[in-house]
Amino acid sequence: MQQDEQRAINAPEQPAAEDAAPTSARGTGGVRVLVIDDEPEIRRAVRTGLAGANFVVEWAPTGAQGMDLVARWHPDVVILDLALPDMDGVEVCRQLRSWSPVPIIVLSVRAGDQDKITALELGADDYLTKPFSMAELIARVRVALRHAAQSSGGSRNDAQFQTGGLALDFERRRVTVDGAEVRLTPTEYEVLKYLALNAGKVVTHRTLLRAVWGPHYEDEGHYLRVFVGQLRRKIEPDPSRPRYLLTEPGIGYRLQLIG
Amino acid sequence: MAIKEPQRANVRGQTASLTPHPPPERIVQPIFMARSPRRALRLRSLLTGLGAPGGLARTLVGAVAGIIGVALVTLTIGVVTTITHVENLSLIYLLVVIWLAVSFGRGPAILASFLSFLAYDFFFVPPLHRFTVDDPAQWISLFALLATALVLGQLTASVQAHAHESRTSQQRMARLYALAQVVASSTDEEHLLEALVQQVVQVFASSGVAATVLFLPDAKRQLVPRALAPTEGAALDALSLTGREQSAMASYALQHGAPVGINVASRQPHAPGEQSVYYFPLWSGHRVIGVLGIAGEPETRRLVTRLPTLPAVSSLAAVPQPSIDPQAELFAAFCGQIALAVDRIALREQAIHAEGLREGERLKQVLLTSVTHDLRTPLASIKAATTSLLEPGMTWRVEDCHEFIESIDASVDRLSHLVRNVLDLSRLESGAAAPQKDWYLIGDVIDTALRQLEQAGQCKGRQVVVDVPESLPLVPLDHDQIERVLMNLLENALKYSPPESVVQVQARVVGAPPELEVRVIDQGIGISADELELIFGKFYRGRQAPPTWPSADATVGTGLGLAICASIIQAHNGHLWAESRPGQGTTLIFSLPVPADRPQGALPEVAL
Repeated sequence: MQQDEQRAINAPEQPAAEDAAPTSARGTGGVRVLVIDDEPEIRRAVRTGLAGANFVVEWAPTGAQGMDLVARWHPDVVILDLALPDMDGVEVCRQLRSWSPVPIIVLSVRAGDQDKITALELGADDYLTKPFSMAELIARVRVALRHAAQSSGGSRNDAQFQTGGLALDFERRRVTVDGAEVRLTPTEYEVLKYLALNAGKVVTHRTLLRAVWGPHYEDEGHYLRVFVGQLRRKIEPDPSRPRYLLTEPGIGYRLQLIG
Repeated sequence: MAIKEPQRANVRGQTASLTPHPPPERIVQPIFMARSPRRALRLRSLLTGLGAPGGLARTLVGAVAGIIGVALVTLTIGVVTTITHVENLSLIYLLVVIWLAVSFGRGPAILASFLSFLAYDFFFVPPLHRFTVDDPAQWISLFALLATALVLGQLTASVQAHAHESRTSQQRMARLYALAQVVASSTDEEHLLEALVQQVVQVFASSGVAATVLFLPDAKRQLVPRALAPTEGAALDALSLTGREQSAMASYALQHGAPVGINVASRQPHAPGEQSVYYFPLWSGHRVIGVLGIAGEPETRRLVTRLPTLPAVSSLAAVPQPSIDPQAELFAAFCGQIALAVDRIALREQAIHAEGLREGERLKQVLLTSVTHDLRTPLASIKAATTSLLEPGMTWRVEDCHEFIESIDASVDRLSHLVRNVLDLSRLESGAAAPQKDWYLIGDVIDTALRQLEQAGQCKGRQVVVDVPESLPLVPLDHDQIERVLMNLLENALKYSPPESVVQVQARVVGAPPELEVRVIDQGIGISADELELIFGKFYRGRQAPPTWPSADATVGTGLGLAICASIIQAHNGHLWAESRPGQGTTLIFSLPVPADRPQGALPEVAL
């Protein structure tokens, strides 16, 4: 984490209110997580859980205070509830993205929440539906951190990607499942590659369609489902119960990180 | 139900009743009952002889028959008197009078009485061939003949009229009874209304009715045709409210409660002439609840006795008919019956609505009771666990802490499940959850449902076999909702089958038109045949003995799951049903339509 020194210089005077992050975890140079949520009990549970996983946690009860803290405290990850008292979580997402590349994980209460998709399209990195388990949240934070490190460091020297038995060799455009080579069409390879580069993160239908087929195909989500079905038959041991290429219902796909 | 564009009606005489309208009560009477006091009419008809059923034409024929009859009798008497002398031969005239009274009514009988009187006097009473009489005794005899003929004729005619009246009233009763039968026996409202208007056309065809349409006001008080007979034809077209006059008249009848009508020139090439179009208000209590339109020959006018005279449509019918037309009375009674039927349908709809509200109230009560219980139980166990853990001065062993925490975790899952179900149900019940359909592959939905159950730990140690062919088409569905259906069905299957058994999920396209059929099959305790329907009701919990395997009590149902599934599948125009053999397992099946216009293309290969 080469940015740590810079953060130490800009250390916040007094981040937030009464039940701020435990002092024990403060200043140890751990990864900083900002929670923007107005529910005290959620904040408390999330803070305790993340602190237990050695993250430094700060919180803000409103969108405005949250953005203020992003500017002053420079968190490594932001956890953003979409239902905030002062402003729409989607709006916070939009404004944050206009000046900060900080990874954002949005929390929402409903599975079919359109706001969630909007937030993801606006640049949020991932989402979780309440109620969620702590283990899930920590895993998502780690994936977000990894991606942030890759994109900001610009040092993605991996010519290889591996999750479980699925491996991609980017240089040779080769895909193997449990060691055996799989023949993919160039388009299938592009889809898989895009998902592998964003492994562990949710990729919305529109993002994937735009990235591989171009902006004219953004609304062809139903054909993408058929396409992904074909791809699964090539890379999944059991295509009806996929292990790698998971469906995020109503949102998109996620290439699962295993092992 | 659409009536075709009407033939362009050529309005000849605007005969709409545009008289100022009295308050409803007064209007109902004249329109649908007899239009003037009976007694006065009787008197008048007695005097004029025009009141007998059959009208003027019949009376004229009777008069001619009377003249011929009297002439024949005179001839007969003349022949007999040349041969022999018979006393009181004039009595033969009475036969003619009686015959006329029976066949043609009072008028011809009176005429014949006087003719007989004169003929007898002229031909047989000395001095012959003169109307004078010599012998005063002959005067008595002559007037006795006249009086007897008159009285006998009138008595016979009135007996005949009574007989006729009772025959027609019997017919009327029979027709009304038939109509009442239709009203009483019909359960299907559209069918009932159709049957009623068909009856109108059948019964009043003799009065010239060719077509009938029942118009009922919609929510915006706009008249819409609800039943019509026959189903097509020029007469029907003449009633269509797409015509400007027709529309104006129908709304006039609805708003003012008075019948209106016009004569239009028929444009049927084979039946030139005129057609009448009438709109009658249907009264129920103080309200007009609809309008009955009839079209047909100009004489249909007679059915609306209150209407002022219309411009001459034919020489005979043009004479104002003061009589109480029994057909008009019958028509009024028919209108009353139709109004009753329409009212009954409206009441039934209200009753259904009220029943829905009551059902909603009952649901709220049950929901409250059930939810209160189902909420309190997990809350109590959470509170018990947390207060134990937080108890000052207590040091728990690590295993005990785990025990408490697991109890909290399980209770939270249960609460979360309950809240989800209750929210789903309330959204579905309120209609706020119309499916947001897109084209999906059912395999994806099955997979995400199973993954959610796995994450919730509900598939722990269970074998779930998914059997979905690769070739299944895209189907329009709400991913969230169908996922919820699958989760509920799978939860049930897992809950009511022993842990070592296999749960299967199958998807197939079957039938024509094609449907996607998804089966969730368990090898559990099964459901008895009489319960197969009941399980989709709210808060229904199986009557079967509770499962005996150890993990069985871990999940307690809310009794809402299948009701939610049924609502969702219904909103998708699909079907949900169960097949089961007790002891051998249950199969829950839902089907979704596979539309022919589904997207069948594919994404192109991209150039690199």
